[in-house]
Amino acid sequence: MNRSSFVALAAWLTMAGYVFGLNIGDKAPSTTVKMKNVDGSEVSIADVAGKQGTLVMFSCNHCPFVKAWQGRIASIGNAAKASGFGVIIINANDPADYPEDSYTEMQSRAKQLGFTFPYVVDATSDVARAFGATRTPEAFLFDKNGKLVYHGAIDDSREADQVSKHFLQDAIDATVAGKAVPVAETKFVGCGIKFRTKA
Amino acid sequence: MVAIRRVTAVGVLCALVFVLASCGPTKHVSIDDVHVSPVTSADVQKAIHDPAAKAVLVNVWATWCGPCREEFPGLVRVAEKYNGQGLKVILVSADETTDVAAVKKFLATEGVDFPAYIKAEKDQAFIDGLDKQWTGALPATFIYNGGGKLRDFWEGGVTFSVFEQKVVEALAKQSKPTGGDS
Repeated sequence: MNRSSFVALAAWLTMAGYVFGLNIGDKAPSTTVKMKNVDGSEVSIADVAGKQGTLVMFSCNHCPFVKAWQGRIASIGNAAKASGFGVIIINANDPADYPEDSYTEMQSRAKQLGFTFPYVVDATSDVARAFGATRTPEAFLFDKNGKLVYHGAIDDSREADQVSKHFLQDAIDATVAGKAVPVAETKFVGCGIKFRTKA
Repeated sequence: MVAIRRVTAVGVLCALVFVLASCGPTKHVSIDDVHVSPVTSADVQKAIHDPAAKAVLVNVWATWCGPCREEFPGLVRVAEKYNGQGLKVILVSADETTDVAAVKKFLATEGVDFPAYIKAEKDQAFIDGLDKQWTGALPATFIYNGGGKLRDFWEGGVTFSVFEQKVVEALAKQSKPTGGDS
Protein backbone atom coordinates (compact mmCIF):
# COMPACT_ATOMS: atom_id res chain seq x y z
CA MET A 1 0.00 0.00 0.00
CA ASN A 2 1.47 3.40 -0.97
CA ARG A 3 1.43 6.39 1.35
CA SER A 4 -1.54 8.15 -0.22
CA SER A 5 -3.61 4.96 -0.09
CA PHE A 6 -2.70 4.51 3.56
CA VAL A 7 -3.65 8.11 4.38
CA ALA A 8 -6.94 7.72 2.52
CA LEU A 9 -7.70 4.48 4.36
CA ALA A 10 -6.82 6.05 7.72
CA ALA A 11 -9.05 9.06 6.94
CA TRP A 12 -11.93 6.79 5.95
CA LEU A 13 -11.56 4.68 9.08
CA THR A 14 -11.47 7.81 11.22
CA MET A 15 -14.59 9.19 9.59
CA ALA A 16 -16.28 5.83 10.02
CA GLY A 17 -15.67 6.12 13.73
CA TYR A 18 -12.84 3.64 14.09
CA VAL A 19 -10.33 4.42 16.81
CA PHE A 20 -6.57 4.23 16.74
CA GLY A 21 -4.75 3.45 19.94
CA LEU A 22 -1.64 5.17 21.20
CA ASN A 23 1.55 3.25 21.69
CA ILE A 24 3.94 3.70 24.59
CA GLY A 25 6.27 6.55 23.63
CA ASP A 26 3.67 8.36 21.51
CA LYS A 27 2.83 12.01 22.09
CA ALA A 28 -0.68 12.98 23.18
CA PRO A 29 -2.98 13.88 20.28
CA SER A 30 -5.59 16.66 20.22
CA THR A 31 -3.73 18.62 22.89
CA THR A 32 -5.02 22.03 21.77
CA VAL A 33 -8.71 21.09 21.59
CA LYS A 34 -10.61 23.28 24.04
CA MET A 35 -13.13 21.42 26.18
CA LYS A 36 -15.68 22.84 28.60
CA ASN A 37 -14.63 22.38 32.22
CA VAL A 38 -17.07 22.02 35.10
CA ASP A 39 -16.14 25.56 36.23
CA GLY A 40 -17.32 26.98 32.90
CA SER A 41 -13.85 27.65 31.47
CA GLU A 42 -12.52 26.16 28.22
CA VAL A 43 -9.48 23.96 28.84
CA SER A 44 -7.18 21.92 26.60
CA ILE A 45 -4.76 19.15 27.50
CA ALA A 46 -1.89 21.51 26.66
CA ASP A 47 -3.30 24.08 29.09
CA VAL A 48 -2.95 21.75 32.06
CA ALA A 49 0.44 20.15 31.22
CA GLY A 50 2.63 19.98 34.33
CA LYS A 51 6.37 20.07 34.80
CA GLN A 52 6.41 16.37 35.70
CA GLY A 53 4.02 15.32 32.94
CA THR A 54 0.30 15.01 32.29
CA LEU A 55 -2.33 12.54 33.41
CA VAL A 56 -5.27 12.25 31.00
CA MET A 57 -8.13 10.05 32.08
CA PHE A 58 -11.32 9.19 30.22
CA SER A 59 -14.15 8.82 32.67
CA CYS A 60 -17.81 9.62 33.17
CA ASN A 61 -20.47 9.62 35.86
CA HIS A 62 -22.82 6.73 35.16
CA CYS A 63 -20.48 3.77 34.78
CA PRO A 64 -20.54 1.42 37.79
CA PHE A 65 -16.82 0.82 37.29
CA VAL A 66 -16.13 4.55 37.45
CA LYS A 67 -18.24 4.70 40.60
CA ALA A 68 -16.19 1.89 42.09
CA TRP A 69 -12.98 3.77 41.33
CA GLN A 70 -14.11 7.38 41.69
CA GLY A 71 -12.62 7.85 45.15
CA ARG A 72 -9.28 6.58 43.85
CA ILE A 73 -9.59 8.79 40.74
CA ALA A 74 -9.97 11.81 42.99
CA SER A 75 -7.19 10.93 45.41
CA ILE A 76 -4.66 9.89 42.75
CA GLY A 77 -5.56 12.87 40.55
CA ASN A 78 -5.31 15.38 43.38
CA ALA A 79 -2.01 13.90 44.59
CA ALA A 80 -0.57 13.82 41.07
CA LYS A 81 -1.48 17.46 40.57
CA ALA A 82 0.12 18.36 43.88
CA SER A 83 3.33 16.62 42.82
CA GLY A 84 3.62 18.55 39.56
CA PHE A 85 1.54 16.65 37.02
CA GLY A 86 -1.10 18.26 34.92
CA VAL A 87 -4.34 16.34 35.40
CA ILE A 88 -7.46 16.35 33.25
CA ILE A 89 -10.47 14.03 33.35
CA ILE A 90 -12.41 13.83 30.08
CA ASN A 91 -16.01 12.71 29.68
CA ALA A 92 -16.52 11.67 26.05
CA ASN A 93 -19.87 9.95 26.60
CA ASP A 94 -23.00 11.08 24.84
CA PRO A 95 -25.36 12.17 27.64
CA ALA A 96 -28.27 11.32 25.36
CA ASP A 97 -27.46 7.70 26.22
CA TYR A 98 -26.93 8.35 29.91
CA PRO A 99 -28.37 11.58 31.39
CA GLU A 100 -26.18 10.97 34.45
CA ASP A 101 -23.25 11.94 32.22
CA SER A 102 -24.64 15.44 31.55
CA TYR A 103 -22.62 18.59 32.19
CA THR A 104 -24.62 19.56 35.27
CA GLU A 105 -24.19 16.08 36.73
CA MET A 106 -20.46 16.34 36.03
CA GLN A 107 -20.36 19.60 37.98
CA SER A 108 -22.04 17.92 40.93
CA ARG A 109 -19.72 14.92 40.81
CA ALA A 110 -16.55 17.02 40.61
CA LYS A 111 -17.69 19.04 43.61
CA GLN A 112 -18.74 15.96 45.58
CA LEU A 113 -15.40 14.24 44.97
CA GLY A 114 -13.30 17.35 45.51
CA PHE A 115 -11.51 17.36 42.16
CA THR A 116 -8.72 19.97 42.16
CA PHE A 117 -8.26 19.44 38.42
CA PRO A 118 -10.44 19.97 35.33
CA TYR A 119 -13.28 17.58 34.52
CA VAL A 120 -14.20 18.42 30.94
CA VAL A 121 -16.64 17.53 28.17
CA ASP A 122 -15.32 16.03 24.93
CA ALA A 123 -18.25 17.47 22.98
CA THR A 124 -17.63 15.47 19.80
CA SER A 125 -15.95 12.42 21.39
CA ASP A 126 -13.14 13.10 18.90
CA VAL A 127 -10.49 13.51 21.60
CA ALA A 128 -11.35 10.03 22.87
CA ARG A 129 -11.23 8.71 19.31
CA ALA A 130 -7.82 10.32 18.75
CA PHE A 131 -6.48 8.65 21.89
CA GLY A 132 -8.04 5.34 20.94
CA ALA A 133 -9.79 5.34 24.30
CA THR A 134 -12.59 2.80 24.53
CA ARG A 135 -13.49 2.42 28.20
CA THR A 136 -14.06 4.30 31.39
CA PRO A 137 -12.06 4.82 33.49
CA GLU A 138 -9.02 4.64 31.18
CA ALA A 139 -5.76 6.38 32.10
CA PHE A 140 -2.99 7.80 29.90
CA LEU A 141 0.13 9.12 31.68
CA PHE A 142 2.62 11.27 29.76
CA ASP A 143 6.05 12.18 31.08
CA LYS A 144 7.61 15.65 31.13
CA ASN A 145 8.72 15.16 27.52
CA GLY A 146 5.13 14.51 26.52
CA LYS A 147 5.66 10.81 25.81
CA LEU A 148 3.13 8.18 26.84
CA VAL A 149 4.61 6.12 29.65
CA TYR A 150 1.53 4.36 30.98
CA HIS A 151 -1.85 3.38 29.53
CA GLY A 152 -4.58 1.36 31.15
CA ALA A 153 -6.20 0.63 34.46
CA ILE A 154 -5.88 2.52 37.73
CA ASP A 155 -5.20 -0.69 39.63
CA ASP A 156 -6.19 -4.34 39.60
CA SER A 157 -9.34 -4.50 41.69
CA ARG A 158 -12.79 -2.98 41.68
CA GLU A 159 -12.74 -3.30 45.45
CA ALA A 160 -10.37 -0.74 46.97
CA ASP A 161 -9.43 -3.03 49.84
CA GLN A 162 -8.44 -5.86 47.49
CA VAL A 163 -5.97 -3.97 45.31
CA SER A 164 -2.64 -5.72 44.91
CA LYS A 165 -1.23 -3.83 41.90
CA HIS A 166 -1.29 -0.02 41.94
CA PHE A 167 -0.53 0.37 38.23
CA LEU A 168 -1.19 4.10 37.80
CA GLN A 169 0.33 5.20 41.10
CA ASP A 170 3.42 3.09 40.42
CA ALA A 171 3.72 4.72 36.99
CA ILE A 172 3.41 8.19 38.52
CA ASP A 173 6.02 7.40 41.17
CA ALA A 174 8.43 5.95 38.59
CA THR A 175 7.99 8.97 36.32
CA VAL A 176 8.73 11.39 39.16
CA ALA A 177 11.82 9.35 40.04
CA GLY A 178 12.96 9.37 36.41
CA LYS A 179 12.75 5.58 36.27
CA ALA A 180 11.12 3.27 33.76
CA VAL A 181 7.47 2.55 34.51
CA PRO A 182 7.29 -1.04 35.83
CA VAL A 183 4.11 -2.02 33.95
CA ALA A 184 3.47 0.29 31.01
CA GLU A 185 0.21 -1.14 29.68
CA THR A 186 -2.68 -2.91 31.34
CA LYS A 187 -6.13 -4.00 30.27
CA PHE A 188 -9.31 -4.15 32.25
CA VAL A 189 -12.99 -4.75 31.76
CA GLY A 190 -14.89 -1.49 31.75
CA CYS A 191 -17.85 0.41 30.39
CA GLY A 192 -17.48 1.18 26.71
CA ILE A 193 -17.35 4.89 25.88
CA LYS A 194 -20.70 5.98 24.41
CA PHE A 195 -19.28 7.89 21.46
CA ARG A 196 -21.30 10.70 19.99
CA THR A 197 -22.55 9.88 16.52
CA LYS A 198 -20.74 11.66 13.69
CA ALA A 199 -22.90 14.30 11.97
CA MET B 1 -72.27 -7.30 14.74
CA VAL B 2 -71.40 -9.05 18.00
CA ALA B 3 -69.56 -11.74 16.03
CA ILE B 4 -67.55 -9.07 14.22
CA ARG B 5 -66.65 -7.46 17.56
CA ARG B 6 -65.60 -10.84 18.93
CA VAL B 7 -63.45 -11.54 15.89
CA THR B 8 -61.88 -8.08 16.20
CA ALA B 9 -61.23 -8.57 19.91
CA VAL B 10 -59.66 -11.97 19.30
CA GLY B 11 -57.56 -10.47 16.52
CA VAL B 12 -56.32 -7.65 18.75
CA LEU B 13 -55.58 -10.14 21.53
CA CYS B 14 -53.62 -12.36 19.13
CA ALA B 15 -51.68 -9.36 17.83
CA LEU B 16 -50.89 -8.30 21.40
CA VAL B 17 -49.72 -11.80 22.30
CA PHE B 18 -47.57 -11.86 19.16
CA VAL B 19 -46.00 -8.47 19.94
CA LEU B 20 -45.31 -9.41 23.55
CA ALA B 21 -43.87 -12.73 22.50
CA SER B 22 -41.55 -11.12 19.99
CA CYS B 23 -40.39 -8.42 22.39
CA GLY B 24 -39.77 -10.32 25.60
CA PRO B 25 -38.12 -13.62 26.42
CA THR B 26 -39.65 -16.48 24.45
CA LYS B 27 -39.87 -18.82 27.42
CA HIS B 28 -40.16 -18.70 31.15
CA VAL B 29 -37.02 -19.87 32.90
CA SER B 30 -36.83 -20.38 36.63
CA ILE B 31 -33.73 -19.08 38.37
CA ASP B 32 -33.18 -22.64 39.60
CA ASP B 33 -32.78 -23.74 35.98
CA VAL B 34 -30.05 -21.21 35.25
CA HIS B 35 -26.56 -22.67 35.43
CA VAL B 36 -23.60 -20.30 35.71
CA SER B 37 -20.09 -21.73 36.02
CA PRO B 38 -16.87 -19.84 36.73
CA VAL B 39 -14.46 -19.78 33.77
CA THR B 40 -11.00 -18.64 32.83
CA SER B 41 -10.05 -17.60 29.30
CA ALA B 42 -8.47 -21.05 28.85
CA ASP B 43 -11.82 -22.66 29.65
CA VAL B 44 -13.54 -20.42 27.09
CA GLN B 45 -10.93 -21.25 24.46
CA LYS B 46 -11.54 -24.93 25.10
CA ALA B 47 -15.29 -24.44 24.70
CA ILE B 48 -14.77 -22.51 21.46
CA HIS B 49 -12.99 -25.50 19.94
CA ASP B 50 -16.10 -27.66 19.97
CA PRO B 51 -16.08 -30.13 17.06
CA ALA B 52 -19.86 -30.37 17.22
CA ALA B 53 -20.34 -26.65 16.55
CA LYS B 54 -20.47 -25.13 13.06
CA ALA B 55 -20.05 -21.64 14.54
CA VAL B 56 -19.46 -20.29 18.03
CA LEU B 57 -20.56 -16.92 19.37
CA VAL B 58 -18.95 -15.66 22.58
CA ASN B 59 -20.51 -12.64 24.26
CA VAL B 60 -18.94 -11.02 27.31
CA TRP B 61 -21.42 -8.87 29.21
CA ALA B 62 -22.26 -7.65 32.70
CA THR B 63 -25.42 -6.91 34.64
CA TRP B 64 -24.21 -3.34 35.26
CA CYS B 65 -23.57 -2.70 31.55
CA GLY B 66 -26.47 -0.86 29.87
CA PRO B 67 -25.63 -1.73 26.24
CA CYS B 68 -25.15 -5.36 27.30
CA ARG B 69 -28.63 -5.50 28.78
CA GLU B 70 -30.10 -3.75 25.73
CA GLU B 71 -28.69 -6.22 23.22
CA PHE B 72 -29.41 -9.31 25.30
CA PRO B 73 -32.92 -10.12 23.96
CA GLY B 74 -31.54 -10.10 20.40
CA LEU B 75 -28.67 -12.29 21.46
CA VAL B 76 -30.97 -14.84 23.09
CA ARG B 77 -33.23 -14.83 20.00
CA VAL B 78 -30.27 -15.64 17.78
CA ALA B 79 -29.12 -18.37 20.16
CA GLU B 80 -32.55 -19.99 20.09
CA LYS B 81 -33.10 -19.57 16.35
CA TYR B 82 -29.76 -21.01 15.24
CA ASN B 83 -29.04 -23.52 17.98
CA GLY B 84 -30.45 -26.32 15.83
CA GLN B 85 -28.29 -25.27 12.90
CA GLY B 86 -24.97 -25.68 14.67
CA LEU B 87 -24.55 -22.38 16.50
CA LYS B 88 -23.08 -22.57 19.98
CA VAL B 89 -23.50 -19.47 22.15
CA ILE B 90 -21.19 -18.90 25.11
CA LEU B 91 -22.34 -16.14 27.45
CA VAL B 92 -19.67 -14.95 29.88
CA SER B 93 -20.60 -12.49 32.59
CA ALA B 94 -17.84 -10.11 33.62
CA ASP B 95 -19.56 -9.40 36.92
CA GLU B 96 -17.74 -10.13 40.14
CA THR B 97 -18.13 -13.80 41.06
CA THR B 98 -19.75 -12.62 44.29
CA ASP B 99 -22.58 -11.18 42.15
CA VAL B 100 -23.54 -14.54 40.65
CA ALA B 101 -27.05 -14.33 42.13
CA ALA B 102 -27.74 -11.13 40.17
CA VAL B 103 -26.30 -12.77 37.05
CA LYS B 104 -28.61 -15.77 37.42
CA LYS B 105 -31.61 -13.56 38.03
CA PHE B 106 -30.91 -11.57 34.88
CA LEU B 107 -30.37 -14.69 32.77
CA ALA B 108 -33.63 -16.18 34.04
CA THR B 109 -35.45 -12.97 33.14
CA GLU B 110 -33.98 -13.15 29.65
CA GLY B 111 -34.98 -16.80 29.21
CA VAL B 112 -31.50 -18.29 29.11
CA ASP B 113 -31.78 -22.01 29.89
CA PHE B 114 -28.47 -23.14 28.42
CA PRO B 115 -25.20 -23.19 30.40
CA ALA B 116 -23.69 -19.76 31.02
CA TYR B 117 -20.48 -18.60 32.61
CA ILE B 118 -18.94 -15.97 34.86
CA LYS B 119 -15.38 -14.69 34.58
CA ALA B 120 -13.17 -16.04 37.33
CA GLU B 121 -9.81 -14.57 36.34
CA LYS B 122 -8.07 -11.18 36.60
CA ASP B 123 -9.12 -8.79 33.84
CA GLN B 124 -5.80 -8.57 32.02
CA ALA B 125 -5.29 -12.33 31.86
CA PHE B 126 -8.89 -12.93 30.79
CA ILE B 127 -8.88 -10.24 28.09
CA ASP B 128 -5.55 -11.24 26.56
CA GLY B 129 -6.38 -14.93 26.94
CA LEU B 130 -9.55 -14.46 24.94
CA ASP B 131 -8.17 -12.15 22.26
CA LYS B 132 -5.49 -9.46 22.40
CA GLN B 133 -7.45 -7.10 20.13
CA TRP B 134 -10.20 -6.82 22.74
CA THR B 135 -9.64 -3.67 24.82
CA GLY B 136 -11.90 -4.83 27.64
CA ALA B 137 -14.88 -2.65 26.70
CA LEU B 138 -18.29 -4.27 27.16
CA PRO B 139 -20.20 -5.79 25.58
CA ALA B 140 -17.73 -7.71 23.45
CA THR B 141 -18.76 -10.30 20.87
CA PHE B 142 -16.56 -12.85 19.13
CA ILE B 143 -17.72 -15.17 16.36
CA TYR B 144 -15.63 -18.22 15.49
CA ASN B 145 -16.00 -20.70 12.71
CA GLY B 146 -16.36 -24.40 13.42
CA GLY B 147 -12.62 -24.85 13.65
CA GLY B 148 -12.33 -22.26 16.39
CA LYS B 149 -10.87 -19.56 14.15
CA LEU B 150 -12.01 -16.02 14.92
CA ARG B 151 -13.94 -14.51 12.00
CA ASP B 152 -15.70 -11.53 13.60
CA PHE B 153 -15.15 -9.38 16.65
CA TRP B 154 -16.68 -6.14 17.85
CA GLU B 155 -17.15 -4.08 21.00
CA GLY B 156 -20.45 -2.37 21.78
CA GLY B 157 -24.10 -3.30 21.60
CA VAL B 158 -25.85 -4.38 18.39
CA THR B 159 -29.32 -5.44 17.32
CA PHE B 160 -30.80 -8.86 16.61
CA SER B 161 -30.40 -8.31 12.88
CA VAL B 162 -26.65 -7.67 13.21
CA PHE B 163 -26.20 -10.77 15.35
CA GLU B 164 -28.26 -12.77 12.87
CA GLN B 165 -26.38 -11.51 9.83
CA LYS B 166 -22.99 -12.36 11.34
CA VAL B 167 -24.14 -15.78 12.53
CA VAL B 168 -25.72 -16.65 9.19
CA GLU B 169 -22.48 -15.67 7.43
CA ALA B 170 -20.46 -17.84 9.81
CA LEU B 171 -22.78 -20.83 9.41
CA ALA B 172 -22.92 -20.44 5.62
CA LYS B 173 -19.15 -20.27 5.37
CA GLN B 174 -18.91 -23.41 7.45
CA SER B 175 -21.41 -25.24 5.26
CA LYS B 176 -19.51 -24.61 2.01
CA PRO B 177 -17.54 -27.57 0.68
CA THR B 178 -13.84 -27.35 1.46
CA GLY B 179 -10.75 -28.94 -0.01
CA GLY B 180 -10.70 -27.41 -3.48
CA ASP B 181 -8.26 -24.58 -2.84
CA SER B 182 -5.00 -26.39 -2.30
